[in-house]
Amino acid sequence: MLACRLKIDVQHVSLPGVVADFIEALADGAGLTSRQAYWLRLATDEITTNIAQHGYRGGAGVVELSGEIEDDRLQVSIEDEAPPFDPAGYDPAPRLALPPALREEGGYGLLLAMGKVDEFRYEYVGGRNRNTLIMRLLGGANADGSGGCRAG
Amino acid sequence: MSFRMKMSVEGDTATIRLAGELDGSSAPELNELVSQAVGRQVGKLVLLLDELTYMSSAGVRCLVFAHQKLPRGSEITLVGTNPEVAETIRLTGFDRSIVMQ
Repeated sequence: MLACRLKIDVQHVSLPGVVADFIEALADGAGLTSRQAYWLRLATDEITTNIAQHGYRGGAGVVELSGEIEDDRLQVSIEDEAPPFDPAGYDPAPRLALPPALREEGGYGLLLAMGKVDEFRYEYVGGRNRNTLIMRLLGGANADGSGGCRAG
Repeated sequence: MSFRMKMSVEGDTATIRLAGELDGSSAPELNELVSQAVGRQVGKLVLLLDELTYMSSAGVRCLVFAHQKLPRGSEITLVGTNPEVAETIRLTGFDRSIVMQ
């Protein structure tokens, strides 16, 4: 198993960029296809952006990303200390049913986050939200311990 | 993460070429450019996306913003959209309001 962990200040000027670099390193290590890497990055970007904007309401806070590469899967966990929020319980359907001109902006992010990952889980543990995203590895792990990760 | 864009306006058509990654950090730049296009009273917006490799919901919101700010009935056309970006737009349902070539 290979594991990575990163704490990010949600007020970082380029939160999506930091997330992208973290996921890219993991995806390379795990040997994800470029398509899988795209959707995992999108999901992680949307969840962390949502935590920053809505969980912490644009204020100070920390989000902790961790990634684990196992034989058959790449698992990314996103943890924060904002008030409890289960993205799976959020239903964007009423908003999406409206014609675009009448829609409020937003409401797409969580839909995209959960749309293409193989598995999504939410838990509230020890005062923290934990969102877990899983991509199954198609051709077996190709972990080499690079990218600031440690073998464990 | 890199993002580049360039606009040209000819007649009533604004053409914007996007390259790199359109996420929450770069989306405000595109909104600004769309506002400039609206100020020049264009009725058509063409986005050249063959060099755009990533679009998050912040990017989809730029398209919605353009749709709302342009005069009613204006056409928004996306050209050369890569498969993942096209799928991202389709998942939000916004593909029904634009033309994808």
